[in-house]
Amino acid sequence: MLLEVKSLVKEFGGLVANADISLKLEHGEIVGLIGPNGAGKTTLFNCIVGYYKPTSGEVSFEGEDITGWPAHRVARMGIARTFQAMKIMPLLTVEENIMVGAFCRTVDRRVATREAQEILELVDLKQEALASPTELPIATQKRIELARALATKPKLLMLDELAAGLNPLETKEIIQTLHRLKQERNLTLFLTEHVMEFIMTISERLIVMAAGRKIAEGTPERVAKNESVIEAYLGERYAEGR
Amino acid sequence: MGQLLKDIFSFGDRPLIERIVLIVFVVVGIVFPWIVGSAYGRAVMIKFLLIALFGLGWNLIGGYGGQVDLGQAKNVGFGAYATALMMLHWNTPFWLTVPVGIFFATLESFAVAYPMFRLRRHYFAIATLCVALVWKELFVFWDWTGGARGVEIPIRTTPDFTYMQFGEVGYHYFIFCLFMAQFLFMNWFRKSKVGYELQAVRDNEDAASSLGINVTWTKVKAYCITAALGAIGGSFMTVYYLYIDPDLVMPLDLSILIAMTVMVGGTGSNWGPMIGAAALIPLDMYLGAWLAGTGHYGIDFMIYGFIIMIIAAYEPKGIWGIIERTAKRR
Repeated sequence: MLLEVKSLVKEFGGLVANADISLKLEHGEIVGLIGPNGAGKTTLFNCIVGYYKPTSGEVSFEGEDITGWPAHRVARMGIARTFQAMKIMPLLTVEENIMVGAFCRTVDRRVATREAQEILELVDLKQEALASPTELPIATQKRIELARALATKPKLLMLDELAAGLNPLETKEIIQTLHRLKQERNLTLFLTEHVMEFIMTISERLIVMAAGRKIAEGTPERVAKNESVIEAYLGERYAEGR
Repeated sequence: MGQLLKDIFSFGDRPLIERIVLIVFVVVGIVFPWIVGSAYGRAVMIKFLLIALFGLGWNLIGGYGGQVDLGQAKNVGFGAYATALMMLHWNTPFWLTVPVGIFFATLESFAVAYPMFRLRRHYFAIATLCVALVWKELFVFWDWTGGARGVEIPIRTTPDFTYMQFGEVGYHYFIFCLFMAQFLFMNWFRKSKVGYELQAVRDNEDAASSLGINVTWTKVKAYCITAALGAIGGSFMTVYYLYIDPDLVMPLDLSILIAMTVMVGGTGSNWGPMIGAAALIPLDMYLGAWLAGTGHYGIDFMIYGFIIMIIAAYEPKGIWGIIERTAKRR
């Protein structure tokens, strides 16, 4: 088992953002996390990667208890993440953004540069290597975030709404990229998404959250037919359309 | 080892024009004392190199790190006092006093860094300013350091490499070598792992920590290296002026001037401190001397302030930012 979350609770003041969440991720899986806005998806992500300290519960990665570890230690353990609101380093070039990620595993600038070059190739960013990232379109910036996370050589890659704001073509491209990455880099993917075409296509297993709780889990087909999921999130029309 | 040397001396990743300017700068630095004969002209050049040197060090925390530190003068003071006191009391050779100054500056910075970096932005700036002021007052009231009267170094009658005392030309080459050494160090730094980590922290702390960077530790490291670089310039000030007091080596003005130099010249580029010092120091010294001569003392400060306001308002990346933008447009 790669990642295990055991009865995780996160409260902000009196507000319960995550109530008793438990889940498991196996090596090589692609798992989607869906749910309405405010369901607590990003909070759960933040608790796993160390941006928040869980109020109670346990997070373990490859058998090691990483509950409450600071974010940089979790990253070095092998969990990388992208941000829902993009956090690109604006004064560095695209290549340098990715190099910073690569420096997670080496002190040698040449090794970091080589790694960055490889990843630029992998995610089709060669042309933009020396550009200033803030001048590039959103879809490209998303690729930069993805590339940067990848450069830390993660075992688990957590993508927070990677496809948000992309058009259908761009979404299709990013799905292809992710499949390629997963194979070439031996990754496990854990992603949240509102774009249903994206998450239903790519996920092998779905976890559904609503109001801070986990309400369902299973293959995309079964989840799409689940009564409580339809009620809480998907809506009647989506279920009928399938 | 070979790669380290290459990283220090290589400017291969920079545009050709920059490499040419660098060579011109080095040549001018070498022949300068032969071209300019006046003592005042040479003094201006030494002051320029000294402030540019301080700027290079400050650029590390202020430019690459994006942390506005308004207390660099305390580190200059540690270096200056380490050299002065060890020479006065124990006749210690110059090059043995430099590591001691670096040691105390780094130690003090490490001690105050953790509480300081709990603060952000202007709160951090104010904290650095206060710590520096406290140290200055301590040196003013401490008898062993000479208090407000300061410390006088025993003057040698012949040029002396043990205590680094010689004429104007000697000091010119001395500070020029120190400057070039620090310039090359910064050339290595900008390409190093810690250099990139520091820039990542400046640009986005959340992103940096998601990439395995310990944000606080990175800032602390940068703060300590900056302190060490400041102390080296302080040691030079002692043997150059042969007399130091808290008002010369630890004043608020100096902290502000160092930060200003980099901000005017351009933060986050190794050219910034040089450009800034070139813009501010000759102006300050020639204009100041001329205006004081005509009885209009103080107008130079107004001009000074005006330039800084203009640059802050129109080009936050300093003169270097203007140069880079023009180069890009072409």
